[in-house]
Amino acid sequence: MRFSRGFAICLLAFAAALAPMAAFAADGQTMIITGEDYTKWLWGNQRYDGSLYNFTTVPGEGYGDNGQGTEINFLVASRPSKYVEVTARIQSRFSQNQWTNFGGFGGRNPALENPPAGDCTGGDCGEFDPRSNEYIKMRGLTARFTPGYKWVDAVTIGSTDLGMFDAFTIGKIRYIDRDNAKAVLFQGALADRKLGYDLIRVSLPRLWAGPNFNTGDYTAADGAYGLQLKLAPAQAFDVVGIAERVRDIEVDSRDQDYDNGRDVRTRFKNDVYGVKIGVHPSSMFDIRAAAYFSSAKSEPIAGAPANFFAISGFSPVPAGELDDETYKANVDVNDPFGVGLSFNVEYFNIGAKYVSMLAARREVDVLLTEGRDGTFAFPGPDNSAFGVFPGNASRIGFGGWQGNAQQVATINVDNEFTDFDEPLAETVIGWKGITIAPTWTIGNLDLSGEYTMVDYNTNWQAWDDPSQPISSTIYPNMDSDAGFRSFRNAYAPFQDRDTDIMVLKAKYLLDVGKGVDLFGKLKWIDETDKRMNDASFLPYLAGDCPGGGQACANNQRFYSPGNSTSSIYGNPGLVTVGNVTGYQWKPFDSLSDDDRDMSYQLIQLGAGYQLTDNLYSSLTVEHYDVDLVDGNTAFQAYQLHTMASGDTTKDKVILFARYTLGGAEFGFNYEYNWGTFDPDFGGGFVPTLADAQTAKDFGVPVGSPGFRGRFGGWNSLIERDFKQQRLKAFMKVRF
Amino acid sequence: MGTTFWKTGALAVAAGLFLASAVTAQKVSFKDPTGDDNGPGTYTYPTDAVYKRGSFDLTALDVEAKGGKVTFDVTVNSPLEDPWGMKGGFAVQMIFIFIDTGAGGFTDTVPGLNVKFDEANAWDKLVILSPQPPGRVKDEISQKVSADRAGAILVPSRTKGAGRTISGTVELEGDPSQWGYQVVVQSNEGFPADKDLLTRKVNEYEGQHRFGGGTDSDCDPHAIDVLAGSGTGDASEVQAQHDMLKYECNPDGSTKTGAVLKMVRKS
Repeated sequence: MRFSRGFAICLLAFAAALAPMAAFAADGQTMIITGEDYTKWLWGNQRYDGSLYNFTTVPGEGYGDNGQGTEINFLVASRPSKYVEVTARIQSRFSQNQWTNFGGFGGRNPALENPPAGDCTGGDCGEFDPRSNEYIKMRGLTARFTPGYKWVDAVTIGSTDLGMFDAFTIGKIRYIDRDNAKAVLFQGALADRKLGYDLIRVSLPRLWAGPNFNTGDYTAADGAYGLQLKLAPAQAFDVVGIAERVRDIEVDSRDQDYDNGRDVRTRFKNDVYGVKIGVHPSSMFDIRAAAYFSSAKSEPIAGAPANFFAISGFSPVPAGELDDETYKANVDVNDPFGVGLSFNVEYFNIGAKYVSMLAARREVDVLLTEGRDGTFAFPGPDNSAFGVFPGNASRIGFGGWQGNAQQVATINVDNEFTDFDEPLAETVIGWKGITIAPTWTIGNLDLSGEYTMVDYNTNWQAWDDPSQPISSTIYPNMDSDAGFRSFRNAYAPFQDRDTDIMVLKAKYLLDVGKGVDLFGKLKWIDETDKRMNDASFLPYLAGDCPGGGQACANNQRFYSPGNSTSSIYGNPGLVTVGNVTGYQWKPFDSLSDDDRDMSYQLIQLGAGYQLTDNLYSSLTVEHYDVDLVDGNTAFQAYQLHTMASGDTTKDKVILFARYTLGGAEFGFNYEYNWGTFDPDFGGGFVPTLADAQTAKDFGVPVGSPGFRGRFGGWNSLIERDFKQQRLKAFMKVRF
Repeated sequence: MGTTFWKTGALAVAAGLFLASAVTAQKVSFKDPTGDDNGPGTYTYPTDAVYKRGSFDLTALDVEAKGGKVTFDVTVNSPLEDPWGMKGGFAVQMIFIFIDTGAGGFTDTVPGLNVKFDEANAWDKLVILSPQPPGRVKDEISQKVSADRAGAILVPSRTKGAGRTISGTVELEGDPSQWGYQVVVQSNEGFPADKDLLTRKVNEYEGQHRFGGGTDSDCDPHAIDVLAGSGTGDASEVQAQHDMLKYECNPDGSTKTGAVLKMVRKS
């Protein structure tokens, strides 16, 4: 939850804050050890118990909405001398450490299994899996030196969350912990302290910081180097320059002469240069602008992909050699009329090929706009990815995540190990547009809103390179752009999209008792995407599928020599249902077959009250109404995802409570979601009826209508009703 | 009949407006110059990106009394943000408003600020505007502040941030235009040092979550911006603030001469 998130973010600050307490105890060195007991209770009617997190996409990890678990976090700080301080964190991890493990004893031992019985999940490997044997691990260890030299203020060696840099280049990074990154950092000020600098070398995380979410076979020498220069020559003006250099190298297998050492080759390199300028003429006006240039190159060695196959590529960076720019400018006008009315205006232009491997992946918000809402995070109406195939049920569930998304300037978006009450991060790679966000305070009434217009640098045809096959692209199409879209997908083979977002929010403090917080929000999103907008890209020649029970002729149309979209939009076969014979799905023979038109509305109302000094509670009601045309059965959500064309309503009730008692904090977040998806997949095909196996695989009645797509996935045509309940309660005790 | 009705009505409205204006007359406002969010002149912000330029730069204090309650609005020179999800509309700031309502009062403040008042400017009430839950703030007060001073500290039931202004209302009788004020801008520290009241440290060198430009001991004032001079926002108040927050440390890190604050008054 956000509060607990904030609480946890402060852990790092805590470790840093502890050290000065012993600042002048160098002669009688003091070591301070404090700790935290964090206990979490999850409950939900999805009935998953794979792990004590609601969500992950990491293969082999568990996820779930049920269980109880406890973490311990030891925070150690000491100051051996005036010049040195050391902080450390030693922590256990929730993961599969359920209370029901009874201490993590026993369990199946995957090392002895033949044949292997699969991934450990829900703690079933007991003491044989570190994720369920309550192991305690060094999470962060940092030594900070302040030698007193003129040229350097501090040298930090060890763990860091990189929060001192910039979200577009080297951003604050969290994976499971906030200080997983390890680095050497020099900080100081030159030129009479007018020019500040941060110089860093970060060891590149082998887990995800390279093409295909790895850094190859030889990882120990991989690193990112960053330099940030901050100049503030006057109160009204400041400028920051940033340079980042990422190098993922491999041992060169072509070098067979071992006597003179081994040569290396670069698997992936990424350079980013940025400049940020601030002009602050008065407290009424504030102007900030930033520009970045990035270049990246992946060499197809050690698993770096040369390209991705059509619409299923997964990677935190596009393949090949690419460069692009990113721009952002903000103008804040603070209360120009003296009536409490202020304006923020933001222009943004994030390059389609902008790459910074260490850009912030979550927990920052690089744009002013609210963007999308976390409750619609994946393509399918139930938030499932690949739910058109059996065994891919929704992980986070129909309710998704609470609140609006936070925007990050990378496709390397990370929502791993989150719970439903945490903010969702979404990529804004390719976004360009403007946001106008007024705020107006009138006594106890706070009004705010935004209008955002988004165009896209990723609006293109045939991956922006019609000379290439549609099934070969440098762009990963993670989870695709179908349905309600994916939080980490920026690229589609065909896109002609624009988005308008409008938000109006109000908060009112009702002067009754301790003051009742009343709040509400209206949000509209209007989005259209013509996707394919040139008939030369249609997969087959006109009249290829004549209808009337006649098979398609399969006469391909080629948009460039040898290249046809028939490889992804193949013709249907004939099916006979009852006495009707027709196409299994609608042939893709019209530019309107993949058109997208979304009308999205949210109404939110809520009230909160400080029941006692220690107890605050709020109740929020949300109603979502989404009318979505997202192509018909010819498009069929790239045949990989549950089609979301139709009307979706979603209602959400959130009961929140927070209680403090001395050094302890308790949180409670209960959510009830219910809603309906009424599909409308258009015509031009003959619906088939679910057989017994289909009914079993997808939980639909035998004989209910639907259709099987190109890859064998099933889309049901019956109305779906959803209900999801879930609860997260936690306790944090500092000691 | 009709004329009498309208005359009476007009008189009633006029009287109501007069009374209303009399009530709203219990307002007082102070300004503070921008760019003086550097304590005694040397302090620098922590290096983490959440500490945005101007976040601790006090620009105004507005006080309004109505119906036995007093509302305090403190404005800073940056749009408020809530990166830590505190749910009150702001996160990094922590505001201490010292009030001199009459004779007597306290010269010591609260742990973590490292400032005092002189006898002539002793404070009687302290209002704390924190993004932390009020229960947490009160718990910290009860643990870390002497009982006599703790009894003079007021924590609003609801503290909110909107735009650039942090606001809170407390029950307090009197005419705010007759009181003296001092505002100390600090930073909300959820994991404060052992004796500090939810305040962030100032060190010799800035760190990711520590202010810089002071000392590693507690002989420096941990006040990033305060009201000074006449509270009009005049540029001369920058120097007045620096003078007020001057300090000197002994070699062992103890205080030789500490920062002594004065109240700012309208009259």
